[in-house]
Amino acid sequence: MIQAAPIDTVMRALADPTRRAVFERIVGSDEITVAELTRGSGVTQGAISQHLKSLKQAGLVAERPEGRNVYYRAAPEGLAPLVDWMSHYGVFWRERFANLRSLLKEIDP
Amino acid sequence: MNRSMTDAASTSGSQDIVVDEVFPHAPETIWKTLTSGALMARWLMAPTGFEPVAGNRFTYQTKPGGAWDGVIHCEVLEVVPNQRLVYAWKGGHEQNVGYGATLDTVVTFSLSKAENGTRLRLVHAGFVMPRNESAFKTMGDGWKTVVGRIGDIAGEE
Repeated sequence: MIQAAPIDTVMRALADPTRRAVFERIVGSDEITVAELTRGSGVTQGAISQHLKSLKQAGLVAERPEGRNVYYRAAPEGLAPLVDWMSHYGVFWRERFANLRSLLKEIDP
Repeated sequence: MNRSMTDAASTSGSQDIVVDEVFPHAPETIWKTLTSGALMARWLMAPTGFEPVAGNRFTYQTKPGGAWDGVIHCEVLEVVPNQRLVYAWKGGHEQNVGYGATLDTVVTFSLSKAENGTRLRLVHAGFVMPRNESAFKTMGDGWKTVVGRIGDIAGEE
């Protein structure tokens, strides 16, 4: 079974909106450097580095040093702790249930 | 929530999605939305070839992925009018990893009397981990939605 601690760590890591935005940008690219992440982010490179540290600790991001650069990539297995949590949500079906509620209201007012 | 946690824990190696809600309508009315293709199309997805008869095979067209054409192949397994509808929900392709990986699941809708209407319980069972992890996430509407909500949840704590 999935332990509570990692879920907590992952949730904490993604709770911060800026950090979540950083993570989503990493997910959206194959590999990305700190400089590239900083560009257009509106925060300093130091702040980005701090966010990357938290994401690494949560197992959400992996790094690959090459020459003077460090390339970051998403580690989707880091989201594994969320899968159990997601089972409670079943967002797809919940949204469909919301649709159903509206439909029923319409056909059976 | 506790019930769904129990369900998830009871099936080792596979995960279930459980949604359980009470609707202020008669079971007969809800049953129609589960078993009329025209009504299913309005809240779930438009089925092709659906009939509420055990043994009936029908499909849903979803987003293709890799070697998979996106077609969900369903087979009606059980029909108890106004009470219970069960169908197999299969898709994916064995060449795929992640989205579009082989998916062999069962969807069960159960209706029961509730104080202010009818309880509709959905169990979407059999998400084998980790092969279907991606499918599981997609059925949960993808991790991005989830990630978005973590902010709300964490904020509530």
